Amino acid sequence: MASSHIYAKRRIKNIVAMVLSVAATAIGLIFLAWILWETLSQGIAAIKPQLFTKITAYREEGGLANAMVGSLILNTLGILIATPIGVMAGTWLSEYSLRSRLGPIIRFLNDILLSAPSIVLGLFAYTIIVLPMKWATNGDITFSGFAGGIALALIALPVIVRTTDEMLRLVPSTLREAALSLGVPQWKLTVQILIRSARSGIVTGVLLALARISGETAPLLFTAFGNNFMTFNPLDKMPSLPQVIYEYTKDPSPDINTLAWAGAFVLTMFVLLLSLTARFAFSRSKVSHD
Amino acid sequence: MTNMNEAAPSFAATAQTGKPDNSQFPTKMTVRDLNFHYGDFHALKNIAMDIPEKKVTAIIGPSGCGKSTLLRIFNRIYAIYPKLVATGEIVLDGENILDAKYSLNRLRSKVGMVFQKPVPFPMTIFENVAYGIRHHEKLSRADMESRVEQALRSAALWDEVKDKLKQSALGLSGGQQQRLCIARGIALKPEVLLLDEPTSALDPIATSRIEQLVEELKNDYTIVIVTHNMQQAARCSDLTAFMYMGELVEFDRTEKIFTKPNKKQTEDYITGRFG
Repeated sequence: MASSHIYAKRRIKNIVAMVLSVAATAIGLIFLAWILWETLSQGIAAIKPQLFTKITAYREEGGLANAMVGSLILNTLGILIATPIGVMAGTWLSEYSLRSRLGPIIRFLNDILLSAPSIVLGLFAYTIIVLPMKWATNGDITFSGFAGGIALALIALPVIVRTTDEMLRLVPSTLREAALSLGVPQWKLTVQILIRSARSGIVTGVLLALARISGETAPLLFTAFGNNFMTFNPLDKMPSLPQVIYEYTKDPSPDINTLAWAGAFVLTMFVLLLSLTARFAFSRSKVSHD
Repeated sequence: MTNMNEAAPSFAATAQTGKPDNSQFPTKMTVRDLNFHYGDFHALKNIAMDIPEKKVTAIIGPSGCGKSTLLRIFNRIYAIYPKLVATGEIVLDGENILDAKYSLNRLRSKVGMVFQKPVPFPMTIFENVAYGIRHHEKLSRADMESRVEQALRSAALWDEVKDKLKQSALGLSGGQQQRLCIARGIALKPEVLLLDEPTSALDPIATSRIEQLVEELKNDYTIVIVTHNMQQAARCSDLTAFMYMGELVEFDRTEKIFTKPNKKQTEDYITGRFG
């Protein structure tokens, strides 16, 4: 009889835990749905072709085309700069730092960089890129898409370093031993076997970093600065979606506010799709490796 | 030899048993005064043994006795981890492989290894076998194909995979993957093949295939096999080494170890009284 008492108690505990977890999940999902609904309902009036074809210079009659293109260029620059450095640094941490005292220190510093306020990274990029460029070119080039790309790369970098490091450390050490026991040198093992095994995880990390930087506003304020015209030149001042949203929400004109909502909806959908892609890529790779 | 005499009092037993009644077999690898430290832990103590050429030498002993550690010194795979130190001598064809000047590349092309769990690379079946060869030799396409086929045939896997060489090796069964790993190892034409509990993750049918394979491979290779399974050692080895707590307790012909061992400890282990 004592045992049935224990089972009943366990069942109750189980139910309580289940209810709490389901409630927590529901709260998260409700807010996500709410955000999507709010941005969509507030911005729906502005979601029409000209949102994607016209530039911000036309104000109410315009769209966000230049901001979207600018964001695309800035994010691409950020990812292109951060990915090779991040993957290599993560590889070093996981595969080469075993005998080095530097490994744990760099891992720790990387974690600090991971949680650094993005506005600080923006100011840093301003100091090391924008100001020197201004002096070097006598003021011809000041704020630029390039500087914005660097600021975004600084945010993406620690994310990529960390996921690469963690994904490589998940590769079983038996795989390393098997390759090394064939006399294969460390660099070949790393490039041809380990990175290949961890590829989908590393790609997921890069996609998550992209999702992270595509919503950043603060680091672009003093670097890319913004621009009401379409530009493809990375040395020019460059507009971006988050920054336009930021400015348009402060605008007194309700039509401009609606455009900001529409921009917010596009941005949220973009990030959501990226995260889903990352998830999908990751779960599919799990299946194929089992 | 002077080293051996100096150390003799502390390992009288191993010095004696290091030269079993196998003088009729030519020696492939000579182990002398081998000590192994993992940080402060003295994992192997004054090991001395002569591993005969083209025979199967089994190493048995309870968990943690150092048998895998010993095997992992034979191709210096332990060296990829920090804080592991091996001292002493392991002479292979007249050269000490523990000498820092001995090229790891060369050592590992001469001494192949198969691990406890099958570890196919995330590539096709063909590439798994070709991968190691490509690093050591430049072969034409046709030569490479025949070399891969030969290795897969020696590993008794060819008939099962000949129609799907281009498929991922990850799709093979555990037993097939393990034979693929053996093929990968022998594709380099090593002289010594180390097997670290190669069947512990396999079912009985796959196990007996691997054991048959070991029997065939000893015509061409010197084989050292670490096993938890005493019946396996009895079935497929010519010599058996019994290790306990980092020491080589007894090393002799397999039938002697399993019928009338010299040491009480060996007898107790063989008869299942401990371990």
